[in-house]
Amino acid sequence: MLFSSNGSSVRPRASPAVQIYLPIAEISVNVFVLLGLGAGVGFLSGMFGVGGGFLMTPLLFFIGIPPAVAVSTQANQICASSASGALAHWKRKTLDLKMGLLLLAGGSAGSILGVQLFAYLRSLGQIDLFISLSYVGFLGIIGGLMFLESVRAILRRNAGGARRAGAGGGRRRRTWIDRLPFKMRFPTSGLYISVIPPVAIGALVGTLAAIMGVGGGFVMVPAMIYILRMPTNVVVGTSLFQILFVTALTTVLQAGQNQTVDIVLAMLLTVGGVIGAQFGARAGRHMKAEELRALLAFMVIAVCLKLGWDLVVTPADLFEVMQHGRGGL
Amino acid sequence: MIGALLFSLALQGQPTLLTSEPPSIVAALTHETVEIREDFSGQELVLYGATRGMTIQDEIVVVLRGPARDLRVMEKQRTFGIWINSAPLEFENIPSYYAIATSLPLEEIATPESLAGSGIGLPATLAIRAAPTAAETERDIRPYLDAIGRAGSRNNLYAEAQRGVEILDGGLFRATISLPPLTPVGNYVAEVYLFRDGRAVASRSASLRVEKAGLERFVYEFAHDWPWLYGLFCVVLAVLAGYAGYLAFNRR
Repeated sequence: MLFSSNGSSVRPRASPAVQIYLPIAEISVNVFVLLGLGAGVGFLSGMFGVGGGFLMTPLLFFIGIPPAVAVSTQANQICASSASGALAHWKRKTLDLKMGLLLLAGGSAGSILGVQLFAYLRSLGQIDLFISLSYVGFLGIIGGLMFLESVRAILRRNAGGARRAGAGGGRRRRTWIDRLPFKMRFPTSGLYISVIPPVAIGALVGTLAAIMGVGGGFVMVPAMIYILRMPTNVVVGTSLFQILFVTALTTVLQAGQNQTVDIVLAMLLTVGGVIGAQFGARAGRHMKAEELRALLAFMVIAVCLKLGWDLVVTPADLFEVMQHGRGGL
Repeated sequence: MIGALLFSLALQGQPTLLTSEPPSIVAALTHETVEIREDFSGQELVLYGATRGMTIQDEIVVVLRGPARDLRVMEKQRTFGIWINSAPLEFENIPSYYAIATSLPLEEIATPESLAGSGIGLPATLAIRAAPTAAETERDIRPYLDAIGRAGSRNNLYAEAQRGVEILDGGLFRATISLPPLTPVGNYVAEVYLFRDGRAVASRSASLRVEKAGLERFVYEFAHDWPWLYGLFCVVLAVLAGYAGYLAFNRR
């Protein structure tokens, strides 16, 4: 070489903006965008008492995080947010441990299945489509049901304080659930039901956690209330207990098998989320439960419509370039 | 330092302008290694070089090529109203990064045929690398190659700087190339060509390494070398963060 290069490695120019390079996602993102996303979704989750994964994962797609990394990292973040909630319910004893363990058994099987399915669909190049379709389907159904239910509740309240029907244990109608075998007693919830529905619900939620990067509370809480008919005071604690362990398992499986968990991304979202949730919980106290549910239903439907629209509208580029075995180019 | 460098280069290049010895070219990059740390948001590289026996009609072309990747390209087709990825084609050894800087617009330096022959320029490079795929399929691969080009341009991984090479006095030249935030890690090759009458008459290459460093490297290696342990670590950290949040909540 004619002239000597100094040979030393040079650090990139220090950026005055607060860009951070995510080690696993391998992209550079503004720190405040991540903290803001965490805080915004945390605020909503504190206000509505939901995990917020169903909002965060699509938002991570929109800012350019590869879907595989977004979904796996969300499992890790939900693990953190459900840990604090589950601890609080554990202390207050508003948690049905026996039911939680059954849901968890189903959830573990679902999570293992989901991670395999995820890896398989990724190898086919269809994972984005599958995630979008899952979101549109689940959010559409849950959002629609929640919306109808809350509108009915608001109308009933306005019609003049009639008590909610079906609240008392004695008046409960017998359904097909009661005819299933393998019955077990759940003293905390005051139930004597078959173990099949909790395990099945747990498995469904575990699969969703692995594929959609959600805790699955938005499926599990209604299922516990309307299908298992658990008392509402233990529903949230039990659901958080299951979510904590299923997302922990999903994190380990995704990290071990797909190497798609970005700890830096997860921690930034968690910090924003913890702060946002406190303000959200305070804001939520000033609103009526039915109105909160109607608002949440609106948001769920909005995310569903946005993802559905993206599936139908003609894309800007009719070709998709993927790196073999990894995320996008 | 760069001033001294240029001065010594100037001394080296000066007398050769008058002689008619065969053309030759030398070049070096300002960096031999680029480190991707947590604050990485792109990096500007400068390639310096000198030519011997350069005439007024000669032009310089600088190419920086990143590590090769295997790609799968799928065409979206509407099925039941939904756009679904279908008709996949696989391409091997496609450069993950390709930047070209020239002293004149490339099409004025050489004909497409000449560029295709020497494999200079993105279309020529992609065509050569895609030859095995083209041999295997009956489909027209051109739309697929165009899609690879578009995807790279969107992320600034494929870039063309017309007049990105500045020719200085005394046969010296300088090219500025920028690495975008999405720069892939690996070994890069910079190639410099001296074009005369539409043909490359001299060339030289220099190498560059892009690697992760600091916290980036630690996390990346942890996640890839001990993935299960890393997963457990992530869970422990998450639970601790949740516990901290719980304590903060209850203190009030």
